[in-house]
Amino acid sequence: MLTMVNMRWSLGYCIILASILTGEAGAAGDDRERRIEELERRVQQLEQQIQQLLGTKPGTKPEDKPGGKSEAYPTEAERTPEMRLPVSGYMDFHFNKPRGEPGQLDFHRFVLLFGHSFSDRIKFWSELEVEHAFVEGREEKGELELEQAYLDFLVKPYFNLRGGMLLAPVGLINERHEPPSFHGVERPFVDTVILPSTWFDTGVGVFGDLGRGLVYKAYLMSPLDATGFSAAEGLREGRQKGFQSSWQNPAQTGRLEYHGIPRLALGASFWRGSTGFRFRGVNPRVKVFEIDGRYRLGRFDFRGEYAQVAISKAGELNLALQRETGVSPNVAERLRGFYFEPAVRVLPRRFNRDLALFARYENFDTQNRMPRGFLPLKQFDRSAWVVGATYYPEPDVAVKFDYTFLRNASSVVKAVNSLNFGIGWWF
Amino acid sequence: MLWLLLLLAAAPPTKVIHMTAERFTFIPSQVKVKAGTVVEFRIHSEDTNHGFRIPAAGINEVIPKRGKGELKVVFHADRPGRYEFECSKPCGAGHNMMRGVLIVEE
Ligand SMILES: [Cu+2]
Repeated sequence: MLTMVNMRWSLGYCIILASILTGEAGAAGDDRERRIEELERRVQQLEQQIQQLLGTKPGTKPEDKPGGKSEAYPTEAERTPEMRLPVSGYMDFHFNKPRGEPGQLDFHRFVLLFGHSFSDRIKFWSELEVEHAFVEGREEKGELELEQAYLDFLVKPYFNLRGGMLLAPVGLINERHEPPSFHGVERPFVDTVILPSTWFDTGVGVFGDLGRGLVYKAYLMSPLDATGFSAAEGLREGRQKGFQSSWQNPAQTGRLEYHGIPRLALGASFWRGSTGFRFRGVNPRVKVFEIDGRYRLGRFDFRGEYAQVAISKAGELNLALQRETGVSPNVAERLRGFYFEPAVRVLPRRFNRDLALFARYENFDTQNRMPRGFLPLKQFDRSAWVVGATYYPEPDVAVKFDYTFLRNASSVVKAVNSLNFGIGWWF
Repeated sequence: MLWLLLLLAAAPPTKVIHMTAERFTFIPSQVKVKAGTVVEFRIHSEDTNHGFRIPAAGINEVIPKRGKGELKVVFHADRPGRYEFECSKPCGAGHNMMRGVLIVEE
């Protein structure tokens, strides 16, 4: 192929040279330019003729070689017709057995993703999720969630617009939650009770690639609702999930990622906003800060995350909720968590399958600092070792196994270890 | 003899670009070459299938999954300009963001 390409080039050059030598481009000034243009046009014509003789057209690939090699030439930018993208999806099927309790089978997630490309500049993306396979009017059995549904207006690589139902760009898991992309049957605890993944709501924002490996997102999103905060799960039930979300004081959120060094990915994200729109007089502000990193070294994978949540006026919030419901939720002023996870792929590269062994240490405390007059519930100062394996019969299918050793700081409430088994796949 | 010299002199330079595709970035996402270069992209994935599409060149290929080899694409950067490329195979929440640009300089 390369010789064919060289020949084509060479022919073109030779024709120009021959033309110059025969004096066709010998005149001066404008005339010369005009003639060069004319020559260029003729060279292009000849090139096209050669390509036609070889059975190809410019802008198309002349030949597919084994290994997926293709060739192409720039053409006048073509308008791409409107295009429906193929449906994608992922599924997550779990078996959880807490110690001393009967095991449970759970079709945890069934997710379908739909995309549509209106043009090269306007694109739609959506994610519809059925949780626990069963949906009723009330949430106890299962949930049907529209986790993403947004329109992107692509302007420049470094500046694009987005609006609709968005994933909060916070943390390692929230935007990368396809089951084969993380180890362990359940998502990390830090990404569940400190950062409330899957965290999604209505919003608008900008995003882009600044070059040198820097990628950013900055959104305004519906605020969290403080009436849902709790001692055990922090912000989790404060997500409005797009349900007539209040937009009085949109929250600000953003994420910066760095991919400039091979095999290393770093991320930092934040969220800040008022959360008291259902109260009069109490308006706690929530600030979330998070950093994360991933690194690959040969057969080893490392990832880690640190997340911290600050809730202002937590004491007043507890009192206000106690007046309403009779019980204080004992919301903390600060929540904090981190984890570190090394993993190693143990099967030789020539195998078609992969087996990864991993161990994740997590430390997460949703009662890290209490407002004045409130005592921390020690059972929510927790740590965990999640040890297990992920088997990939195919890169998009993950058969997962882990044992979770859970600890807490309470001398009264005992933490329960669990055995977990799961199958997750993406297509 | 003269023909042979001319042929050799006219052979355009080739540049191999090794690229990693991973949810939801191409690394590197910006590539600069001089006009007249033949660019050979060699792209491998660290996770699922991605697509590699350069609309202005009619290229649209699939990058194989992790461990399943690499995609080779040859692009004749004849004309100066900015050639945006994108992932054309839905790969998750950040799919629309998975983009980059090939800058062909004079
Ligand atoms: Cu992709």
